[in-house]
Amino acid sequence: MIGNALAALRDQGRLAALGLSLLVIAYLAWKVGQSPQQALQFAFNGLAVGAIYALLAMGFTLVYSTVWFFDLYYGAAATLGAYGVFYLRSSDALYSRYEVANPVINGVLAVVAGCVVAWLLHVGPMARLQPKLPDNAYRALVSLLGIAAAGYTLAVLSFPEHLRVLLAPAVGAAAAIVVGMFLFGLLERLAAGLGSGVRAIAATLAGSGVGAVIGYLLAGAEGADLYLSWLLSCLLAGSVGLALYRGLYIHMRARAKSPLIMLVASLGVLLSLTAFISIAFESAPRPLPATFGSASITIAGAYIKGFNVFAIGVALLGFAALWLMLRKTTFGRAVRAIGDDEQVARVVGINTVVVVSIVFFIGAVYAALAGVLSGHDTAIQPRMGLLLLLKGWIASVVGGIGNLYGAILGGFVLGMVEQFGIWDLAGEWRDAIAFVLLILFLSFWPNGLLPRK
Amino acid sequence: MLEGSSLQSGWRRLLDDPRGFCVAHLGSIELWATAVVIGWAFAFMLWQGVGFAITVGTVFGIWAILALSLNLVLGFTGLLSVGHIGFFGVGAYAVAILTSDPAYEQLRTEAIPTYGWSFFAALPVSVLAAGLVALAVGIAFNRFRDDIYVLVSFGFAIIAYNVFLNWRGVTRGAFGIHEIATPAIGGWVLDGELEFLLLVLSFLGLVALVSYFLVTSSFGRVLTAIREDETAIEVFGYRATHFKLSIWVISAMMAGLAGGLFASWTSFIDPNSFLLLESVLLVSIVILGGLASIRGSLLGAMAFVLLEEGMRFLPFIPTEYVGQGRQVVLGIMLVLLMLYRPQGLVGRYRL
Repeated sequence: MIGNALAALRDQGRLAALGLSLLVIAYLAWKVGQSPQQALQFAFNGLAVGAIYALLAMGFTLVYSTVWFFDLYYGAAATLGAYGVFYLRSSDALYSRYEVANPVINGVLAVVAGCVVAWLLHVGPMARLQPKLPDNAYRALVSLLGIAAAGYTLAVLSFPEHLRVLLAPAVGAAAAIVVGMFLFGLLERLAAGLGSGVRAIAATLAGSGVGAVIGYLLAGAEGADLYLSWLLSCLLAGSVGLALYRGLYIHMRARAKSPLIMLVASLGVLLSLTAFISIAFESAPRPLPATFGSASITIAGAYIKGFNVFAIGVALLGFAALWLMLRKTTFGRAVRAIGDDEQVARVVGINTVVVVSIVFFIGAVYAALAGVLSGHDTAIQPRMGLLLLLKGWIASVVGGIGNLYGAILGGFVLGMVEQFGIWDLAGEWRDAIAFVLLILFLSFWPNGLLPRK
Repeated sequence: MLEGSSLQSGWRRLLDDPRGFCVAHLGSIELWATAVVIGWAFAFMLWQGVGFAITVGTVFGIWAILALSLNLVLGFTGLLSVGHIGFFGVGAYAVAILTSDPAYEQLRTEAIPTYGWSFFAALPVSVLAAGLVALAVGIAFNRFRDDIYVLVSFGFAIIAYNVFLNWRGVTRGAFGIHEIATPAIGGWVLDGELEFLLLVLSFLGLVALVSYFLVTSSFGRVLTAIREDETAIEVFGYRATHFKLSIWVISAMMAGLAGGLFASWTSFIDPNSFLLLESVLLVSIVILGGLASIRGSLLGAMAFVLLEEGMRFLPFIPTEYVGQGRQVVLGIMLVLLMLYRPQGLVGRYRL
C-alpha cells in the first residue's frame, strides 16, 4: 500500500516538482519586477560564485567520467591550492605576519614533486632513451633528474621571499620549450624547403631567446610573486593528485569491487590532509594577500568586484582549455576512450596508467585553482575543501555528471540558485539551499540538465 | 616444504608468506584487535584512575550507540550514510528543548519555547522525533544507491546543521541551549557520573540487544539479501523499499536516543556538536570496527575513544592538536583498511 502510494507520488512527483519550480520562478520574476536593481546584484553575485563552482565541477566531472568513482581528494586539492598561496606569500598578508616556513612540509612536497617529475620523464620524453642506454645508466639518469627536481622544489619552497628569482629560470625554460616546439611545427608547414637541421636550429634559437626574455622580465617584475605562487601551488596540488593516483588508487582499483571502496579511501585521504593542514596552519580562517581588482565595478547600479570578473574569465578559459584538450587532441581522445571502457582502451594500446594519472593531475589543478580564487574572494580555512568539494559535486550532478557543458552550466546555475534562494532567507541558508536543489534534481531529473550521451 | 623447526626457517616463512605465517602462528586479526583494544582500555583505567575512566566510558557508550545504529544501515543493509549525525542532533535538540530549565535566564537572544519536562518523558519523544524525521528523509532518499547515496546523505547532514544553526526561534542558533535536565526518576536524581555511565551502558545494552535480534531475525536476513543483491530479493517478492525504509527509521531512532543521552550528559548543546565532520568520524568508526558486526561497532567506538584519550596524554602532542591528530590517524587507517581489509577489524562484509 505504502509502496503504491510512493510509486504514485514518484510518477506525479516530477510534475509536481516542475509546477513547484515554475511557481518559485514566477515568484522570483515578480520579485525581480519589484526591484530589478537588487536582482541584478544577486545575478552578479551568482555569477561570481558560480565561476568558482563551475571550475570545481569541470575538474570533478573530468575525473569522474574517466575513472567512474568519486575522488574526495579533490576537496583537499582545493585546500592545498589555497594554503599553498598562503604558505608562499604569508609575508604579504597583512594580518598573518608570522613564520610559517616548515621544513617537514617542504621536504614532503619536494619528495612528491621529485617522484612525479621522475615518473613523468620516465613515461614521457625519456621513454625513447631507455632501450639505447644500459639499464643502470638509465635508472641513474632518471633518478638524478628526479632528485634535481626535488632539490629545486625544496629551494623554491624554502625561500619563498625570492620566489620570482627562483622560478624565473623554470618558467623561462618552459616558455622556451613551448615556443621552440611551436616554431618548429610552424616552420615545417611554412618553409618546408629548409632542411630539418636548419629548422631545428632556428626554432631552438628563437625559443631560447623568447624564454630568456620572459625569464628576465619575470625576475624583475615586482608584483609577479603572488601570481607565481598561484602557479606553483596549483602545480603542487596537481602533483599530489597524480602521486595519489599512481601510488595508491591504482593498487586499490585493481582489487576494489565497488566504487564505495575508492570513495571511503579517498575520504580517508581528505580527512587526513584536512587535519594535517589544520595542524600546520591552525584552523582559524585567514586572509590571502590582496590582489588586483579589489575595487568594485558598477554596472547599472549593481556592483561586482574586478577580481570576480577575472574569476569568471578564468572559468570560461578553463572550460575552453578543457574542451580543446578533450575534443582536439590525441590525449583527449584517449581520455574519452578510457571513460567509455577502460579495458578496451588498454587493449587498443592506450597507456591507461599514464593518461588517468594526468587526468588526476589536471583535475587537482582545477580544484586548486578554484580554491585559490575562492580564497582570494573570501578567506581560507582548512574546512573549506570539504564544502568546495560538495559544491563541485552538486554542480556537476545538477549539470549532468560526466558532461563538460553540463559542468559549467551546473556551476553557474548553482551559484544563481544559491544567490536568488537567499533573497527571502538569511544568507546562512546558502548551503542548505544547494543541497535541497541537489536532492530535487536527483529525485526528479537524475541525469541533470545536460545528460551525458 | 620443511616444517619450521629452526628459527631460520621460521623467518623464511615469515618473509615468504607473511599472511600465512600470521594466520598459522599468531591467531586471527580479529582476536588480536579485540585483545589489544580491551587491554588498552584496562591499562588506561589503571593509569588514569577510575574517575576519568567513567567519563571516557560515557563518551564510549554514546559513540557505541551511534556506531551500532549506523552499522545497521551501513553494514547490514549496505547504505553508506554520512548523515547520521543529523538524527543524533534531532534527538539532542528534542531533549534539550523539552527539558531545559524554563527559569534559566535566556541571554542575548529571543526566548525559545521551553517546557520543563523530565528527562525520561523527553527521551521517548526525542526517539520519536528522530524517527519521524528519518521517515520523511528516507522516503526521499530511498531511490538512491551507492555513491549518490553518500552525496545526498552528506546533504542531509549539512541541511540538519543549517537548521540547528539558523532556526533561531527554536534552537537559539549558535548560542546553544543551556541547563538541560539531568535524568531523574521520582526523587532519585542521576546526577553522579557513575549513575549516568550506568544509564548509558544500560541503553547501550538495550540497543545492542535490539540490533542482535533484528539482524538474526528473518528481517535481518532480508536486509543482508538487499545488501548483496537488491534485484534478486525483489524477485522473491520482498519489497526492498519497505525494508530499507524500516531499518533506516529504526537506526535513526537509535541515533536519536544517543543524541538525547548526549544532550543530558553535557547539559549544553550548540550546533558545533553536530558538524559534518563528526558524521565522517562516525563512518570511520563503523568501518574501522567492522561492517555487519555488533562486536565490531563496540570495538570501533572503544578504539576511537581510546585513540583520542590516549593521544591526549602523549607528551609530544600538544593538547590543542589532539582532535586533529586523531583525525589524521583515522584517515590513514581508513586508507589502509580499504587497501588490506575492506571489512574492518572484525567485520563480515566487504564494502
